[in-house]
Amino acid sequence: MASYILRRVLLMFPTLIGVTLVVFFVMAWTPGGIGASLISNEQGMRPAERKAMEAYYRKRYGLNDHYYVQYLRWLNSVSPIGFKTSGQGFPEAWRFGLKPPDLGEAFATHRRVSEMLKDAIPITLLLECLSLPLIYGIAISTGIAAARARGKLVDVGLGFTLIGLFSLPSIWIGVLMIGFLCNDSYVHLFPSNGLHDMRSDAMTFLPNLSGGHFTRGWMLDMAWHLCLPVICLSYSGFAFLSRLQRGALLESLGQDYVRTARAKGLAERVVVFRHAFRNSLMPLITVSANILPGLIGGSIIVETIFGIQGMGKLTIDAVNSRDREVLMAVTLIASILQLFGNLISDLTYAVADPRVSYVD
Amino acid sequence: MSIDPTALAVEGSFAPADDRASQAPSRSLIRQAYHDTLSSVGARIGLAWLFLLLFFAVFAPFLANSHPYAAKINGKWSFPAFTFLTPSDVLLLVAVAVAATLFFWRRFTFLQSIGILSGILLIAAVPVRHWVKPPDVDVLERYRDYQAQGEIQHAIYAPIPYSPQDRLRDQPDARLRPPSRKHWAGTDTNGADVFSMLLHASRIALSIGFLATAISLVIGIIYGAVMGYFVGVTDLIAMRIIEIVDSIPTLFLLIAITAFIEKRNIYVLMAVIGAISWTGYARFIRAEFFTIRKLDYVQAAVAAGLPKRIILFRHMLANALTPILVSSTFGVASAILYESILSFLGIGLVDEASWGVLLQQARAGGAGFVWWIALFPGAAIFLTVFAYNLVGEAIRDALDPKLRKRD
Repeated sequence: MASYILRRVLLMFPTLIGVTLVVFFVMAWTPGGIGASLISNEQGMRPAERKAMEAYYRKRYGLNDHYYVQYLRWLNSVSPIGFKTSGQGFPEAWRFGLKPPDLGEAFATHRRVSEMLKDAIPITLLLECLSLPLIYGIAISTGIAAARARGKLVDVGLGFTLIGLFSLPSIWIGVLMIGFLCNDSYVHLFPSNGLHDMRSDAMTFLPNLSGGHFTRGWMLDMAWHLCLPVICLSYSGFAFLSRLQRGALLESLGQDYVRTARAKGLAERVVVFRHAFRNSLMPLITVSANILPGLIGGSIIVETIFGIQGMGKLTIDAVNSRDREVLMAVTLIASILQLFGNLISDLTYAVADPRVSYVD
Repeated sequence: MSIDPTALAVEGSFAPADDRASQAPSRSLIRQAYHDTLSSVGARIGLAWLFLLLFFAVFAPFLANSHPYAAKINGKWSFPAFTFLTPSDVLLLVAVAVAATLFFWRRFTFLQSIGILSGILLIAAVPVRHWVKPPDVDVLERYRDYQAQGEIQHAIYAPIPYSPQDRLRDQPDARLRPPSRKHWAGTDTNGADVFSMLLHASRIALSIGFLATAISLVIGIIYGAVMGYFVGVTDLIAMRIIEIVDSIPTLFLLIAITAFIEKRNIYVLMAVIGAISWTGYARFIRAEFFTIRKLDYVQAAVAAGLPKRIILFRHMLANALTPILVSSTFGVASAILYESILSFLGIGLVDEASWGVLLQQARAGGAGFVWWIALFPGAAIFLTVFAYNLVGEAIRDALDPKLRKRD
């Protein structure tokens, strides 16, 4: 098992290099290129000044070099083994060895990419950690309900509704939610933007009733801001999982041990939940690893609509300002997550089903 | 009724005999699946919507157009709606006519029909491009002006007498009007009729859905076939490449590529979406080929010394093609969804108004939230994706032997 994991982890490196190569050269070769809008945020300059500025930045980030050199420099700078680099990715000394990986400096904002990620990742993770239990809870309960009422109206209706939910584009639902539920002209139930109220810094952490006056406090304020984004992120996810749960439960309900349990005269509840349900969980466990990267893709949409400064918003901003370093870092992280997701899903196969073995 | 393919293949006249033999069982499976699919209510609803959409897309210039079909202006008859048809409008009409003929004639198989259709379109494209030249100057308000001045004696208008580009410059107060009997889905910030824009945008959605899926199918099938036939080093390297493409979340890759392309149009989007979503098909064909290549009739073809190209794409592919064509229904739905997401995020179509572009206008158009611009385009995306998923689900159930046995 350990050697299998080691082999898979080692195989990740060529894959990751391939991924970054693809994204890097797609960015480099498309017309327009990378450096074009480096100075887009500095308006109102004379042409000569603009030219000098652009030349300065091209030199500072080494954009005059050949693309292969630029890519190798980037690779050296992010890898934990290599030559130690300065902030802009140039090797400082030609001493090969272990070094802290460096994601470089954002072209557009001149901030360290690692710092930007440190701000953004917890927010996206929070969104996802809230969505996952919701997705699983609803998927499992609806899946069980559909399987127990197989072929009846409940089953057919649930199937139809779930395909419908799955097909609902989250861009539409998000826009309608903001438009109808966060709007003074209709219903103003929820805040439309961000994760916190402007005055949230002055709030107490917990909600409190001081002098008959209710203040919602920092935590409740955040929960209030999170309601719509979390709904928007999760509603389409459970459709797929629920179908999976239904199919798996139907399959276990057809097994001999379930017939035996019924023949013993056990109550239907016990048969379904004790005997069949546990054995039907395996497909759900194994796909769990693939849900996470999917949610990261979904967070691009949700964070853009609801103005939340997470990974997805960071990606869109980087794309709009053609910020190569940020986009490369985000791609790298998303790909690593996806690869580990694949690995974990393969491993859970082996854990959940003893018949699967990876030992050669 | 099925003929043993190997018996025929060994006797001689390999390609045609084998082709017929390998198609005989698959056709009956298709017919069975066709019946099962059509008996499902969901699939029927989905198909109804898709046919309605196809009708809208093909006849959009006749359904929503500022140019009247026929008008008698100052005593002279003219047919503006027809003279302003673009080459692609005409080609689309030709395609629908040919497709309808092929469908009702029932002489050719599905694959043959597709070949004939694309052949005729390719041949027709040259003269159509040469002869169909719509006038450059297009003043969309002029018919209303003529009407007001009483210069039009007779005119037959389209059901929705507004082109999507018609910004109603003669009616400055017609901007951002809510739905009414005149404008069924209201007007946008420029004064254009939203319903007319929706009708014309259905062309974008359908064409991106079909062509992006076709591109990814072609890439996936060729890639998967080569990978599944030449096991060993080719397979190992090819599989790594698939793993690389798969380990970038699709939306990320799409955004990263499209955002860096300066001149984005509908063809670029088709190509990019198609070039990204082929891995599933390649994996599928590879797995199929692993089993097919061990079958006797393939071994016989190899022993007979047929070239690899023929074995791969004529003999083996015929047996693996049906299920993959069926499963591409979901691909069409996701291609449509990807286009609208990209357009919504502002990195999709630039000067054409697709459903996603309209939805973005509703959010960030500068006029605040305008419910009719948000509701209708989003509903169109939803209904189309829903229809494709319903049909796809029904076909999958019909083709799944496990499910069929149980019922």
